[in-house]
Amino acid sequence: MTRCDVPCLACARTGQRVRVLAVDGDDPLSRRLLDQGLWPGTEVEVLTRAPFGDPILFRLRGYRLALRRDEALRVRTVPAEPVA
Amino acid sequence: MNVAAVPVQAHVTVALCGRPNSGKTSLLMHLTGANLRPVNFPGTSVERTESAVMVGSVELRCVDLPGVLSLQAVSRDEKVALDYLQQGNPDLLCAVLDASKLSVELHLLQQLRRLGRPVVVALTKQDVALAQGMPVDAGALRKALGLPLVEVNARTGSGIEELRALLAQGAPAVPVVPPAASLDPQRIAANVQDTRVQRRTFTDRIDRLLLHPVLGPVLLCAVILLVFQTVFTLAEPFVGLVEQGQEALGSLASGLVPEGFAQSFLVDGLINGLGSVLVFVPQIALLIALVTLLESTGYMARAVFLLDRLLRKVGLTGRSFVPLTSSFACAIPGILAARIIDDERDRLATIAVAPLMPCSARLPVYVVLIGAFFPPAQAPFVLLAMYLLGIAVAAGVALLLRRTVLKGGRSMLAMELPVYQRPSLKVTLVQSWMAVRGFLASAGTVIFIATVVVWALAYWPRPAAIHEKYETERSALTASDTEGRQRLDDQEQAAYLEQSFLAGIGKTVQPVFAPCGFDWRITVGILAAFPARELIVPTLGTLHSLGRVDASDFGVNSMSTGDREEGLRGALRRSRDAEGRPTMNSLVALALMAFFALCSQCASTLAVMKRETHSWRWPAFAFAYMTLLAWLVATAIYQVGSLLGFGLEA
Repeated sequence: MTRCDVPCLACARTGQRVRVLAVDGDDPLSRRLLDQGLWPGTEVEVLTRAPFGDPILFRLRGYRLALRRDEALRVRTVPAEPVA
Repeated sequence: MNVAAVPVQAHVTVALCGRPNSGKTSLLMHLTGANLRPVNFPGTSVERTESAVMVGSVELRCVDLPGVLSLQAVSRDEKVALDYLQQGNPDLLCAVLDASKLSVELHLLQQLRRLGRPVVVALTKQDVALAQGMPVDAGALRKALGLPLVEVNARTGSGIEELRALLAQGAPAVPVVPPAASLDPQRIAANVQDTRVQRRTFTDRIDRLLLHPVLGPVLLCAVILLVFQTVFTLAEPFVGLVEQGQEALGSLASGLVPEGFAQSFLVDGLINGLGSVLVFVPQIALLIALVTLLESTGYMARAVFLLDRLLRKVGLTGRSFVPLTSSFACAIPGILAARIIDDERDRLATIAVAPLMPCSARLPVYVVLIGAFFPPAQAPFVLLAMYLLGIAVAAGVALLLRRTVLKGGRSMLAMELPVYQRPSLKVTLVQSWMAVRGFLASAGTVIFIATVVVWALAYWPRPAAIHEKYETERSALTASDTEGRQRLDDQEQAAYLEQSFLAGIGKTVQPVFAPCGFDWRITVGILAAFPARELIVPTLGTLHSLGRVDASDFGVNSMSTGDREEGLRGALRRSRDAEGRPTMNSLVALALMAFFALCSQCASTLAVMKRETHSWRWPAFAFAYMTLLAWLVATAIYQVGSLLGFGLEA
């Protein structure tokens, strides 16, 4: 889909599960992302995308979070272990 | 705060705080029985509302705060909450935690505890957590937190009694504070909630449809159209009621008070003024009710999600959708609703263009003009064109603003899409009522005063010479010629009006509007409409010697029904200048409607803008750009149309 330098929430495929590695930056946006629960180790599932691919809907910590693509780019991820 | 035993106080003030969508407002209504008192002018769910209830001998005062994500306020509504928490001095905090999102909720709780006030926890939405396969062990959570905790269900009401009693006790004795390490939200959450299973729920199934890449946007358009259609259809009978009431009251007054200054002031000034205000209440109430209803189901968040990219392309943000939609009823609740927009520049851009949304006050103008000058088959398309004109210009202005004066900013989305829930009728009615109240208080006063002022300028001077002239003509009629008498009465009114102060101003200003194709009567109508748009219709009515305009002409359906030669429509079609040439045709009507679509003609909107932006700069700017744009577009339409041969006969 989208090509990023490091895997992040923006380039994760729909339906994929990933785990948060870190949130880049130290500004209101990064603080807001952390407030929404995107702490390191959090498991995130990519649910769907809006028309034209932006924003993107994720499920994490029991709720649904919509992020713009430029917000999702801030969140570096690794693939999560597949659910048994 | 640190006392071992706290005596029962006469008043206990509790601040309900928590993340957005945790169910605070429903909880408040259950706790206190929905006798809400808005503390400030209400927007949507972003104002502080207070309510009180007696629990035994204690008055329990509950303050509902807007949802916050953390104590580092990013948006205005979060600042409102924070300011209160830090300065408002509540006795207790009631932290409302959503069980289905426990780990994130605990993150906020941690910060709330640092404020140093006693905290009681209300655990909500356990049913949602259960449906997702991850219920929370409330007892274990209570122990882990070391705080009083009550599990409540805002829908069934279970746990409310217990919570109310607990809150009424006031500040609880100092609890045993567990060591800091075990206050880690993630650890606590992991200990009390098993999140391995995550079942698909009702919300997921609905979202597959509503957020479908193709069906989603299509359904959104359908929902929007349905909302507006409903508002127009349902509002009409109520509008009719207001008009009937006005007429009845007017007849009563005419019967009681002899003809002359007092009667005219009462009927044409006061009662007319009252009617001009009340006639908009049905539409405003209905649209706000429908928007609130949709919002309480959770659908609005989906609309914001689907529209965010599009709105950003025109310089706004996804969240602008709600204020702009509300502005279709009236820009006043719309501008207030802009508080939900976190980025200040996005918010200002939204406020600056909200008055361009086709509001309910513009509709009577469109209806009368389209009904008079366009065939029924074209009517819906011309109306649509006027609506699109406002929206298109709004997009252009927002874009321009964001590229110039309002460049930059930290617009964020990062928004939760809540689970779908049954809409709360109570909340809907309360919000709708608060919006109407706000409208009546601010816009209502302005419209009312403006109507009276316009009446006064149109009434005076009243030279005896005119009266004598018509008395002579009246005495020439036979006793039974009531029609002739009525005709003379109307002509006399028109004669007075033609030399009144208002007409004097109109004739002086008219050259400014000549390029738009407007004659002096239309100019007077425009001037009369500056405090409040809808005033143009009764003004034009009087100017064309119709006495009082039959305002059943105002329904949208009457655009394409009824006799075009009758009433105001007929009078406009027959309007002639001093040399007997027609002064209005469909091109002039088009230019006039375009003028109304874009012109800033609502003093109350400007007043609200000033309050919300804390300066006169923005309302002044809005007034200037809108009026100038309106004039330019109207002129362009008339001049180009004339070149193409559609102008008035020379």
